[in-house]
Amino acid sequence: MRFALFPGCTISDRLPFIEKSIRMIAPHFNIELIDLPFTCCPEPNSVRSFSDKTWLTMGARNLALAEEAGVNIMTACAGCFESLSMSKHVLDSKPSEKEEVNKVLKKIGKEYKGQVEVRHIQQVLYEDIGIEEIQRNVQYPINYRAVIHPGCHTLRPQKILNLDDAEAPMKLDELVRAIGMESLDYMDKVMCCGAGVRGINREIAFGVLREKMDSMMMVDPEVAVVFCPTCFISFEAGQKVVNRMFDKKYNLPVYYYTEILAAAMGLEGVESILSEHRVKFSALGMLVAKNEPEIENATPH
Amino acid sequence: MERTTDADRINEIQHSAQPCFQCGICAASCPIFRVAPDFNPRMAVDEVLRTGTVAMTGREWFCAYCLMCEERCPMEVALSEILIDIKNLSANDGKVPPSIIEMMDVIRFTGKVSHASKRTEKKRRELGLPELPKPDVDEVQTIFEMTGALDRLMRFREAEVEPE
Repeated sequence: MRFALFPGCTISDRLPFIEKSIRMIAPHFNIELIDLPFTCCPEPNSVRSFSDKTWLTMGARNLALAEEAGVNIMTACAGCFESLSMSKHVLDSKPSEKEEVNKVLKKIGKEYKGQVEVRHIQQVLYEDIGIEEIQRNVQYPINYRAVIHPGCHTLRPQKILNLDDAEAPMKLDELVRAIGMESLDYMDKVMCCGAGVRGINREIAFGVLREKMDSMMMVDPEVAVVFCPTCFISFEAGQKVVNRMFDKKYNLPVYYYTEILAAAMGLEGVESILSEHRVKFSALGMLVAKNEPEIENATPH
Repeated sequence: MERTTDADRINEIQHSAQPCFQCGICAASCPIFRVAPDFNPRMAVDEVLRTGTVAMTGREWFCAYCLMCEERCPMEVALSEILIDIKNLSANDGKVPPSIIEMMDVIRFTGKVSHASKRTEKKRRELGLPELPKPDVDEVQTIFEMTGALDRLMRFREAEVEPE
């Protein structure tokens, strides 16, 4: 399988250790990645709200780059996945919009034809590679209690994105189970992390995060697992803000799925990824360092 | 690129809001409404249907674009899309939160929303990550010019200098 990796600005410029985990696991599943001069996807809420024509044309430029290279796009960020998928949906379903956009792209020597597919890495792992193949690669099962957060922009709108059930998603649960974790059901599983309004109103954004994390903490998880870098930042760095703002005491380690997959696969260099986290999970660190299959009584620190 | 006139756009919004029967599942599902009841996605649609105008109160920018309302609407009203349309009308009037203007400026000059800091660049090297090919910023400038983003940025700056 060959893809153009679309890491997205947040991963490539702020959370490079997540990109590292993706590039670490890829060859083990015969995924070949190429890099193209992509711009921002662009960001699906603010940019599209500011100028939907600009959003659509920049999205089309990114899609056209992959088309030119003859590969499909694999996104690592839910926001990029939603933005590029929505751009593609508009361009493919509205010929007049596509024509307008291509007039602009012509000025920069590009054309969107409509041949490229946009996939999120979760789809590649779940649909193309499959749970069994992932299980086969797990050397050191990680048996912690996890809450998963699929992320708004992998789920909705379901009829366009078609990644999982928008109300009762189960695929990321199956993926975390494949590496030995228990996936805990919780009330507000499909709720937003609040990131979309962080730049607009902090009180509201972190209020939403507080509601979300209250719901997560009710089922007493040891870790949270996400598949979006923006959600990762919300939970990881954001929980400290919520603690200050609302007098909470959250201390929940957060992982992007491929990080713990790389750990469970026992891949070399996992320590360098996990050491970048702000909320450390010492038990997982020990697991990785000693390559021990199981740790009793693991507690987050 | 041809710009849709405001009247056309308001007509489109009205048309797409038409099936709404005000059941309120959008508000009940909205994470923003849950913590800030001033923002009610149902009222945004109600306003359009009742008055035929789009009220740009500034609260439209509180939408997190989580799409929960849209997913659950029994009449398949694309509420998130309607809010995006309303925000586009606001932006066309130069009414935009400063954080979005900053973001647009960063994209305009770098093609990305976040600069790779010196620390991140060093980190990427330490992790053995490849140097990513950079987008041609002139291409971004051309897109900004031809799709109206540059005009909107200018209009925001004018609105900033001469408040109503």
